[in-house]
Amino acid sequence: MDLIYSLIAVIGTLVVSFIVSLFLPGIERKFIHARIQQRVGPPITSPGIMAPIKFFFKQTITPESPMPRLYNALPLISLIIIVILLLFLIPEMYFLGALASIIAIVGLLKVEEIMYMFMGSLSKSVLSVRMPFPDLAKGAAHPETPRSFFEELSSLRAFRLIAFGSFPLYIALFVSVAMAGSIYLSDIIAYQQTHGPILFTVAGAMGAIVFFIGYMILLNEYPFSILKGKPDVVEGPYLEYAAKYRAYVYMTRGFLMFTLATLFATLFLGIAPNILNPSFIITLIVALIFPMLMAVMSAFSPIFTYKQFYPTVAGVSIIGVLAIVAAFL
Amino acid sequence: MDDKEENRTVIEAEVPMGTVHPGALEPYRLRLFVEDEIVRDAEMTVGVNHRGVERIMEGLPVEKANSLTEKICGICSNIHIWNSCRVAEIALGIEIPERAIYIRIIMGELERLHSHLLYLAHGCEVLGHETFSMRLFYIRETVMDLLGMIGGNRVQYGSAVLGGVRPRCELDQTRIQKLTEGMDLIEEKLTAFADRFVSDPMVMSRITGVGVTSAEDALRLACSGPTLRATGVKSDLRTEMFEYDPFEFDVITHEDGDVKSQLLMRVFENFEAIKIIRQAIRDLPEGPITNRSWEMKDVPITKSYVEAPRGTLYHSYALEDGRVRNCVIRTPSMANIGAMQYSAIGHHITDAQLCIVQCDPCFTCTDRAIQIIKI
Repeated sequence: MDLIYSLIAVIGTLVVSFIVSLFLPGIERKFIHARIQQRVGPPITSPGIMAPIKFFFKQTITPESPMPRLYNALPLISLIIIVILLLFLIPEMYFLGALASIIAIVGLLKVEEIMYMFMGSLSKSVLSVRMPFPDLAKGAAHPETPRSFFEELSSLRAFRLIAFGSFPLYIALFVSVAMAGSIYLSDIIAYQQTHGPILFTVAGAMGAIVFFIGYMILLNEYPFSILKGKPDVVEGPYLEYAAKYRAYVYMTRGFLMFTLATLFATLFLGIAPNILNPSFIITLIVALIFPMLMAVMSAFSPIFTYKQFYPTVAGVSIIGVLAIVAAFL
Repeated sequence: MDDKEENRTVIEAEVPMGTVHPGALEPYRLRLFVEDEIVRDAEMTVGVNHRGVERIMEGLPVEKANSLTEKICGICSNIHIWNSCRVAEIALGIEIPERAIYIRIIMGELERLHSHLLYLAHGCEVLGHETFSMRLFYIRETVMDLLGMIGGNRVQYGSAVLGGVRPRCELDQTRIQKLTEGMDLIEEKLTAFADRFVSDPMVMSRITGVGVTSAEDALRLACSGPTLRATGVKSDLRTEMFEYDPFEFDVITHEDGDVKSQLLMRVFENFEAIKIIRQAIRDLPEGPITNRSWEMKDVPITKSYVEAPRGTLYHSYALEDGRVRNCVIRTPSMANIGAMQYSAIGHHITDAQLCIVQCDPCFTCTDRAIQIIKI
């Protein structure tokens, strides 16, 4: 009986989460961006559901890539990683021990970040192609300079994100570790069941702010959209994805939005995702609030360059460190 | 090894952008030579949209050739046809009725308003601030409606014909009322936008000190129009055009020459345009709007310069048997290309498009003639 209950909980949670995640991009664009910008906006199902379905029926292209198969497989691998991440957050999976811990979560998120690097370095879109002969238009001063592709630039920026950009998110994860005194999710939830949600402490509130900024950075949302931005690298690592592979990209983003919000609910509210637990509704509410807040912030922000990005990340990271110190106190 | 070879600097990478790029409204090729994402050199090439308008105009009757110039630009169509008519009017000594001059001024300033609002919206889009961009487009809609009301179209609304303005562009009381209300609405919305824009610290951080062109460099690079005025040089052809004599307005200048100056200068220039339109409506003289009593004759090449929304616009041609000969058109963006390349140097690659956009490029109109270099 327990096994059936656990199976229903795991599969049900994954399925419901996946369905809800498909609506998140639509909610973000229809109810926030479009309303703020005083326009009608797309139908709510358009960005997350109808667009991927449409892409599944489109003819695909072979990307300009040294390893096209690997390049095309990367969004699906990203999706699988996020599914695994959500799986480890479900209480029925806590028997896995170290895999249901902050360390495993950090590891999986890092793998997710590395995917952007791979995507960027494996793609060479036509947007950056130059002439097959020496380009001497207007008497170029640097005729032998090696060519760089937008995706290559994106890949380098993804490396910078891994190196420092995602600091806030990871620091925020350790606020709950410091409070609960354990890296295991089961212990963190148990601590909050006894002491109340970490969010309602000083350290938790600071950590939540830092987590939210980290959430935006990881999702490459304006103003932290350095991996993909209209003024320079356009779609960045995703430039060459077409048809079903682009559908995977869209689905992955929506699912990552949901999973990170679920992670927040687990670490800061003590509510693990479980479809059979009534408190799952709170997880869903958090999953809705996060994209909405992110959409409000992105609608009122320009894209940051490193000049704004570095100080923001440094400042938010300092707040995160202070939150950890406060948690120990 | 020659000197050029010895002096060649080694640059880390070249990032080619365009001819098709989502950050650019029009097709052009940009080569950015970068080191650690900082632009060390930039090269810009236009020539994708060459349509040979001057060649098509060659031998056409002057009225037909004039109407063709309206098609040069989708943003400043009116100023092209106005300046083209102006060439023939100067050459043939045609007197323009005062009412027609006032209507031309109203159309010209409405065009400046919509061009500057489009510029600001595009600037905000390149900044990544879509909300500001959308709001500016909404403000611009009022101007477009007014242009459509007077000219009959949203894009090809040119009012000038030889000797005056089209009968379609006559201003009756209803239209004057709508113009007055439109100016009040635009002023109110633009003031609200300007307040919000300058008080946004994130936006200010992105545009302050970026893409700086000093007054000396702007003059050296032969910049014109608002691009030059934003560096502190008080240069506006409207002060020299006889059509603008009855109107009082300030020539707006900013000292810094950065993206912030370029954007804000155009915001303030919009208020001046509103001021001119209000004066024109208030003092609109009675009388005919077209002078038909003129005779065609052969004239040598005649030149006319006007202050287009983007800078100095030049048209010249000769007339033979009522047909256009040796037509030359020079659009303002041609003068500002140097500043676009120059201002991008030393800035982050994300700012490069912003540095170009700050000079208000309109390359489709700029593609007038090409020189093919044998490689």
